[in-house]
Formats: sequence, structure tokens, C-alpha cells
Amino acid sequence: MIPASFDYSAPETLSEALQLLGDEEAKVLAGGQSLIPMLKLRLAQPARLVDLDRIPDLNFIAEDNGTIRIGAMTTHHQVESSDLLAENCPLLAKTAAHIGDVQVRNRGTIGGSVAHADPAADYPAALLALEAQVKLVSASGERVVALDEFLVDALTTSLEDGEILTEVHVPVEQAGVATAYRTLIQPASGFAIVGAAVRLGVSNGNVSFVRVALTGVGSKPYRASAVEQALEGGPANAEAFAAAAAHAAEDVDVLSDIHASAAYRASLAAVQTRRALEDAAGSA
Amino acid sequence: MATTTTAPKLKTHVGERIRRTEDPRLITGTACYLDDITRPGMLHAAVLRSPYAAARINSISIEDALALPGVKAVYVGKDVESVGGVPCAGSMPDLRIPNHKILAGDRVYYVGHPVAAVVATDKYIAADAIERIEVDYEPTELVSDPEEALQEGAVKVHPEYPDNVAFTFSQEGGDVEEAFRQADVIVKEKILVPRLAPLPIETRGVVAEYDEGAQELTIYSSTQIPHLLRTQLALQLNLPEHHVRVIAPEVGGGFGSKCNVWAEEALAAFVAMELKQPVKWVESRRESILVVAHGRAHVDTLELAAKNDGTLLGLKLHILCDIGAHHQLLTPIIPTLAVLMLPGLYKFRSFKADLIGAFTNRAPSDLYRGAGRPEATYVIERMVDKLAAEIGMDPAEIRFKNFPASTDFPFNSATGLQYDSGDYATAFNKALDIVDYKARRAEQEAARAEGRLYGIGISTYGEICAFGPSPATPAGGWESASVNVEATGKVAVMTGISPHGQGEETSFAQLTADALGIPMDDIVVVHGDTAKVHYGIGTFGSRGISIGGSALHLALQDVVAKATKYAAHMMGVDAETVTFEGGVFSSEATDSTLTLADVALEAHLCRQLPPGTEPGLAATRFFEPSNFAFPFGAHICVTEVDKETGEVDIQRFVAVDDCGRIINPLLVEGQIHGGIAQGLGPAFQEGVIYDDEGQLLNGTLMDYSIPKARNMPWIETDRTETPSPVNPLGTKGVGEAGTIGSLPAFVNSVVDALSPLGIEHIDIPMTSQSIWNAIHERSRT
Amino acid sequence: MTLKGTYSLPARRQKVWDALLDPGVLARTLPGCKSLEAVGPDEYRMHMALAISSLKGVFEGKVRIEDQQPPESYRLTVQGRGKIGFVNGGGSFRLRESEDAVTEIEYQGDVKAGGTIASVGQRLMNMTSKMMIKRFFTALEKELTAPV
Repeated sequence: MIPASFDYSAPETLSEALQLLGDEEAKVLAGGQSLIPMLKLRLAQPARLVDLDRIPDLNFIAEDNGTIRIGAMTTHHQVESSDLLAENCPLLAKTAAHIGDVQVRNRGTIGGSVAHADPAADYPAALLALEAQVKLVSASGERVVALDEFLVDALTTSLEDGEILTEVHVPVEQAGVATAYRTLIQPASGFAIVGAAVRLGVSNGNVSFVRVALTGVGSKPYRASAVEQALEGGPANAEAFAAAAAHAAEDVDVLSDIHASAAYRASLAAVQTRRALEDAAGSA
Repeated sequence: MATTTTAPKLKTHVGERIRRTEDPRLITGTACYLDDITRPGMLHAAVLRSPYAAARINSISIEDALALPGVKAVYVGKDVESVGGVPCAGSMPDLRIPNHKILAGDRVYYVGHPVAAVVATDKYIAADAIERIEVDYEPTELVSDPEEALQEGAVKVHPEYPDNVAFTFSQEGGDVEEAFRQADVIVKEKILVPRLAPLPIETRGVVAEYDEGAQELTIYSSTQIPHLLRTQLALQLNLPEHHVRVIAPEVGGGFGSKCNVWAEEALAAFVAMELKQPVKWVESRRESILVVAHGRAHVDTLELAAKNDGTLLGLKLHILCDIGAHHQLLTPIIPTLAVLMLPGLYKFRSFKADLIGAFTNRAPSDLYRGAGRPEATYVIERMVDKLAAEIGMDPAEIRFKNFPASTDFPFNSATGLQYDSGDYATAFNKALDIVDYKARRAEQEAARAEGRLYGIGISTYGEICAFGPSPATPAGGWESASVNVEATGKVAVMTGISPHGQGEETSFAQLTADALGIPMDDIVVVHGDTAKVHYGIGTFGSRGISIGGSALHLALQDVVAKATKYAAHMMGVDAETVTFEGGVFSSEATDSTLTLADVALEAHLCRQLPPGTEPGLAATRFFEPSNFAFPFGAHICVTEVDKETGEVDIQRFVAVDDCGRIINPLLVEGQIHGGIAQGLGPAFQEGVIYDDEGQLLNGTLMDYSIPKARNMPWIETDRTETPSPVNPLGTKGVGEAGTIGSLPAFVNSVVDALSPLGIEHIDIPMTSQSIWNAIHERSRT
Repeated sequence: MTLKGTYSLPARRQKVWDALLDPGVLARTLPGCKSLEAVGPDEYRMHMALAISSLKGVFEGKVRIEDQQPPESYRLTVQGRGKIGFVNGGGSFRLRESEDAVTEIEYQGDVKAGGTIASVGQRLMNMTSKMMIKRFFTALEKELTAPV
């Protein structure tokens, strides 16, 4: 479990980091909770690691005109324990609390997790439900991309060579919208076998707003639009939740591995979605 | 010179919850583990392992590896042919022991089989060089599954044998056929007990150093058995044993996996002698999961015959043990322990067991915490529950009905063992009281009325430990202890056991403190260095306190007897009038008293010892028990299963254990807690997965799931204390009890929860997926 | 691990067939293929550098095309060996021309891995295999629809 040799740089500014990333075989280190094991198994052998840990500008949580901006190097623990998020975006804070274990949450970062695009990571479920955006910066400029477009496939994003994900943007939660995250984890890795994030607004007993997103089910986390459509405008009750949740894995090429079969995952997708809807309805 | 000072009255230590004296160095990071050792000029080794489960090696090209700066040498199989193979202590008449070379010859037999070793100036270079070795493998046919291995026409793991039978073992007691004829009811089940990776927190490791002038080989190894390793290494390397010194530094857990003699130990020794430079090899976690002999590996088929009133009559058992491609030290012996303990705590009248060890193209299997007894206890406890369900009897009642009474001891089991002492009903009643069994059954009824899956699982377990009488053990069942009261009055205890987490530095100091009336701080317990302590057997099979502690007890008695004689002489009184209490010698015949330190100093100065006395105040004793000891207990687990997800919520876990007399309740509870974690693991999470190509599929801790803190239930412990008559301390041993007792309670609880769905058995590990499958299949049919 | 699925390509069956069996096209479409060199009839030696995110694997291997029933079906086997282990895959491809000039390829096969990738990569095996297949067909589609 010894990595192949590599160069290591720990720049203190983003521009320095971008410059270092110009190397073709360079790779960003942003907490290392997925990358370091890959290095040690020699499944990844970059020539250089550019560690973003010492760039203070990448670690912040700030609210600005209804948008919360989270610096890429903000740890899961910081997200989990942020008062600002607890108040203004509770779904993200409670999702962060489900990630891995204490050690992982102390080292892992939101930018690292999103850019790694593990199809079973917890964050993407919440972030898709929140219709989050990511800010990508390169030497030649910057762009803001919807997470939906950013996530291309398992471990694959639209991040270009030489680009760094610097911020995650989520909206301040709307008044009257309650949220929930339900997950069943694979006990060894702590990754979600299935995770379901829900944002639910109810008025006069009917669903006035709903966002549902799942992780772990397919090769990329997704918005469960069929579930949302089934609920939108309809009654917010147990029967409706159950009926809608049954669509949770619709049209998804469901993953199967030694830990969970496709049938189990699909079934869990419906169960966890229903329960998350019930949790949200119950907390509203 | 007699003094009149009176030593302060010291409280007794035995029986007290005393914190481990080992812990300060462990938790401050000042302990020296294997990988902390450096020697001048030390080189680092890495091992290349086969990615194939079966292949011919056509050629190995090492030039690229040797060309890497810093690489000192590369060894392949033919370079180390002079080294003897990995030993196996089995002795069945039909046992087949294929030559287990320390590096593969022209074939590899399992994924992870060592093929070559690189030695370099640092471990990073060694790891890089490993990648530069080119091996031309020609994959051959293989067999991965043990049941397939025994089928007619199966691929032969070792072509030199006619089939894949590694050994057989049979045992019979009573008239089992008659029992089955008389039975009202016969229940059958096939139960899988998967392979488990032992996973000590500290992986294996060895440092070898050769002093050419003195011709002395020093081996530091993370081992449980330094002396046995010394003997075996001397044989493998053809060295006089007195030229080999083995040191077990701080050992970060073993769970049986370090009660072995490993290829890498001899390999490191060979390299150090060849290169005349010290060399270190430390196993990676991946290697540990891949090749450290997995435990269990059974496919068990059972038939139980009983009367309708729950009386157990007879038991038939067929064990198929997947031993892997090669034997390790105790591979063939471990499943025979499962046979011996299969009757559990019950008065079976007859019994028949057949055991077959099957070669497969997998890594060797061998002992792991409990070693044979968890397998036995698990299957018998499952079968008793199955019978209870079949005849509609409460699982608690059927157990009471078949226990021997406390007056039946020593009790002869159906397999010919003599259980030393026991009071099973009392321990079981205690557990039932704690969990409030009747209330739980009422709660279950209410839960079931609501359609909830609520289960109560019982395990009444027994185990065999404190190994043991020598004729019944493969490597000597005795243990040694020396006590040396130094001139300053401080005491060194030298023991042949080799603790690696059990806490005997503490418990042995407690015994010594009480026997000699001195503070524990004045005592050092020395172990794990063949140059410092007398030959001993080591630590495994819950034998440390019962065998090693008993040897210490005898040596302490000798020291006190000697010191009493000297004190009497010094005080000028008759030895018979001298009493020794709280570290002070006194006599009704005089007002003067002496402390142990006074006597110890005189024993070294030798000015007024009785004529003919040899100097010093020391004693060495050996202890061998007349029989094994048989701890027992009752574990009860209450669970609720989530019907939709298959998740299990453990609501209660009660463990009442009887490990005989207790020296330190804190250590006992620690062992019980840790043991239960290692019963929880296989119950719900653990199990090495091989595919049909012999590839191990869950080879990291991201995929191989061991219990984490969040998985552990709150454990309610209590105990009964039934002393063992087979050793002077009355102890029985507790290192494995939690692992043995807990697994069946977990499984019985889940099966009980699922029983309204018609589910009678579910194999381990009971993952949420497998429980969901079971529920799903039922709801479909 | 078994993989199966279908993929529709906007080209006539014969054209798809020709492309699938053209070593030049194979070299451009097999994921990670760096070179493909014929060593016998329908048998090639391949150098592969697979990359998914930061994961990289370099493999030397063989590609063989068997059981050809032009233009309907054939079998493809790929064997690769590298430092991180080996991958053996084999699958059958069935071509059906549905509506005008659309060919549906139905595939079914097995992937087996050994060594490091087998024992550490199970969580990723299923998703990466699917991704490789997708990459292959996407590249093939590009070939077929590229202006000549």
C-alpha cells in the first residue's frame, strides 16, 4: 500500500494552483479521502499532486443575495456544523452529517467530493435536490455550471484539464419547505447503497413544491423527476408518497455489485424516497 | 539484620477492577511495535504475489527490478530452496501435506501466493521494484468452491494427489443410528460458516538480523508464539536453536492469526543471513486480508434427532472445511475442535461426525478467535432453535431440559470430553432475568400483532479452553514461569506466554502483588523474548491466565516458601512459627519482623542464610493441567428487523459469562466486549468473498466490513463464577467466549424475528441485502 | 459479472458490421486502445491505457473475433494484463436492422478481473464496465456518422 512516487505542491493561492495544474499529469488533492487510497493501491499514479489545503480563500461559507457559496475546501464537518447552513440550508448540513465517519468528515471536502463524482457519495443527492451549481475556474476564466450538467457519469465530470472546482452554490431554503435525507449505507465503506434527499413544500394539504434526488442507485446521482411529477400539486399524504416513491428508480440502469443487487437497490430507492418524503412532511 | 518496620497493609489485587498497566505506553505512542524497530543498515523487503489462483510460472524476469537504484537483491523460489517449508502440526493418518515452499516454485496455487521478494534500501524502492518483476504466468484450471473440489472429476489443486481430500476425521459416540430410529422428530439443515479475515489492527511483520561473528540470528516478529517459532525457524533454516533468538515486540492483536509460522518469517531470516544485513518486512493491509489464513470456512450439514418433549437424542454432522491450497500450522486441527465441541452444553446420547478437509485454490485457512468452537456453537445453537420451532417449544425451555445438572460434573460429553465444572442453568436464568424474558416474549407478541418483525435470540454456549493437557495438544500444553525477587526487593516475573492485548502484564502482576504483599509498581512482567524467558508455549486458546498464571502461582508459592525459610533463619525462629502477610514476615516467637525486601537482600548477600542454601530468591515452575477448562454462558439478543430494508436494530444484548474464577473483572469485560464485536461481525457484516476464479473480491476495508463503533449494541454483562478444578487458580479463560457465545444469539434473534414469514434459517453474514432477499422471496411465494 | 444491453446506431447493418470488424475502427473505438496490431486472422495484440478520472490502468492484451455470422453476430474476447491485475472479457454481439438505417446491437457478455482490480475494485467494477461499453458505442457511433 505504497503509492508510486509523485511530486507534491501545496500552493497558497488559487492562481499558483492553476499554474501548477498546467502539468499534464497533475491532479488536485482536496482532502484525499478517495484519492489517497487510489494512490496507495497504485490505481492512480499522477506525476504531481496539487494540494489545495493551504489556500485560505477556498474555505468559507457565505450567503449573498439568497445564494449560499461554499468554498471547495470546506470540510464535511464544517458543513455539518455550520450555523449558517443549519439556518438557511438544513438539507446540506444534515446530509454532510451522514458522510463516512468522523475522520472522513474532518478531512474530506465538499469540492473534493463533488469533483470526484463518486456515484454513491452523499452530497450529490442533496445538491441535486437543491439545484446546486458549481464554479469552475481555469487560468483563462471561470464558469458556473449546474451540478446536473457537471456530473457526466460515474467518476466523470465536465471539469476540463486545468480547471479547478472552487465553489458550490446552493440557494437559501425557501420558507415553508422542509427537507430530509435518508440513506442506507454499505457498512464497510460508509458509502450510500441508496440515499434519497427530499425538499417538500406543502400548502393546504397539497404538495406545492418538491425536489427529490437519489444517489447510489445508478452510475450517477439523479433528480427523480418522475417522483416529483407524481407529487406536484397532489395530496401530501402517505398513499401519495408511496405511490410516487415507487417511481424512484424508473428508467435508471441500476447498479449491482457484491454489496447490493440491482433489485435490492431499486427497492431501497422507493423505500428511502418514501421515508424521506414522510420525514420531510413530518418535520414541516 | 532484622528490622521492626511494619509494611503498610496492602489491599488485595486479585478480583479487583485494576486498569491495565500496559495502557500508558500504548495510548501515549511510546510502545515499540514491529514497524517501530530499526537496526543499523536495515534493508526493506516486499513480496510479489500471484494474481492468479492457479498458474504455471514459465519464467520470471528480475533484471528490471535489480536495475532500480537501491535494490539489493531479488529472490525467487529456486533461490530459497534450501529453506524448509512452512510447517503443519496436523497428524491424522491420511493427512496430505503438500510441500509448502516459502516462495512459489513452478506453480502458484492461490491468489496472493508469494512468488518473489525484493530487498531494497527503503520500502518505497522495494514497492516500486516489485512492479518491475515480469512473471510469465500460464493460467491453469482451478477449483475455488470447496463443494466442487470434492466432486468427481474436479480439477486437482495438487496434481500429485488423486483428489482434493486433504484429510478426514471421524468420531462417533453412543448408538447414533438407534437414536435416529427412536426419534420423534429429526431436523436437518445445511449451514454455511464463511471465511473470515482475522484482521489484527497491526498486520504481520518481521525484522531479521544476523550476527555473523556470534552466528546468532535474531528475529523480531509480531507473533503469539515466540518459542514455537524459534524451534520451527531453527528447523527450517537448519540452525541450532540456541543460535536463534525470537523477540515478540509489542503485538497489536493477533486473534490467532499470529499463532502461526509464516513463510515471510523464514524468508526474512534467510535474506538477513544471505545479505548479512538486517531486513524488515511489514505486511500491507491488502496482503493481510488476502493471505493471512482465514478462519471458519465450513460447509456443515447437520441432522438432529429428538423426542417430541424436546429431549435431544442424537446428532449427525458432516463438516466440509475449505482449507485452501496449503496447510498452515494448525489448519487440519482446528475443525476437529469443532467436532469435539459440537454437543455444546447438552446431554446428547449419541453422536457421529465426519470431517473432510478439501484443498481449494484459495488462501490457506487456519485458526481465528474461537478456532473451531464458534463453528460448533453456532451450528448446534441454530439446530436446537430449529428443533424448538419444529416441536413448538420455547427455545429457553428446550435448553433447560437438556443441560446437565450442576451436580453432574465432571460431565462426560457425547464426544468423550470431560467438562470440568459448570452450572449452566444458573447462568442462563441470570441472563433471562436481566433481559426479562417473559416481558420480551409478550412484547414480541404485541409486535407481531402489528406485523413487526421482533426477535429474541438465545445462545447457551460452552467452550473448551486453557489448552491444555500435553497429550491432547500439538505443541505441548504446559507453561513456564519464573519469579525473581531482586536484591532491591523488586520482582521480575518471566512468563512463557506471549500476551498481545490480553493484559497479562496486569493480571500476572495482580497475582504476584497478592502473593508477595508488594505493590504492583514493584513488579515487572517479562514476556516475548526467548533470550529472557524460559521456553514456553505462547498465548492462544484462552490459556494465558489458566496455564501461564498457574505456573506463576506455583513459582510464587516456591518463592514464599524459600523466603519464609530464610526469614526464620534470620529471625532465629522455627520456620513453622513464621507467617507471611502483606509482605511482612513475623513470628509469634519474636517481636521482630522482616519485609520481603529484607529477605531478598540477604538472599543475595548470603551472610546469614541457612547452611547449604543457594543464593538468590527465585523460582521457576511449570504447569500442565490435567484437563481442559470449559467456560460457558448465556447470551440473549433482542432485535427488530426492518421489513422493507432488511436492516436489523439490536435492541438488547445480554451476556452472562462464566469463565471460572476472575482475576480482573475489567479485563474480563474487555475480552467479552471485544469478543462480542467479533461475533457481531460475522453475524451481520463479515465474510471473505471468492469468485469461481479464486479471486478474493472484498480485499480492502472499503469492501470487507468489520464492525465499527456505530454497529455495536450496548452490551449488558454479568457473570457467574464456577471455579475450574483443573488448575490451582480456578480460572477457565475468556479470550474467545464473547465471539463463541454471541454469534448464535444474533442469528437466532433474526431468525426468530423472521419466523412469522416462514423463514427457518438464514446464512451469515446476515447483511441487509440477504435479509431483504429472504423476506422478498417469502413475500413473492 | 454479466453485462448486457442494447445500443442503437444510425447506420445500416452491413455498415455497422464492417466497422465492428475493421481493426482500424476497433483501434479507434475500443476504450483506451493505444495500438492494435494483427497477430493472426481476427486476432490482435492490443496496448490499452484505460483512464477513468484519476484511475489509470495500462494493459497489454489480446483481442479475438470469433464465431462470425456476417452480418448478424459474432463474439469478441478481450484479455488484458497489467500491473494492477488482469481483465478478461467476452461477449456476443447480435445486429438487427430495425427501421430504416437504424441498427440495433444487442450484447451480452462476462467480465472477469483478477489481482488488485478484482480485490479492491468491486464497487467500481459494475459502473466502470458499463462506462466502457458506453464509451465504445459512443465512439463507434461517431465513426459511423462521421462525414466521409
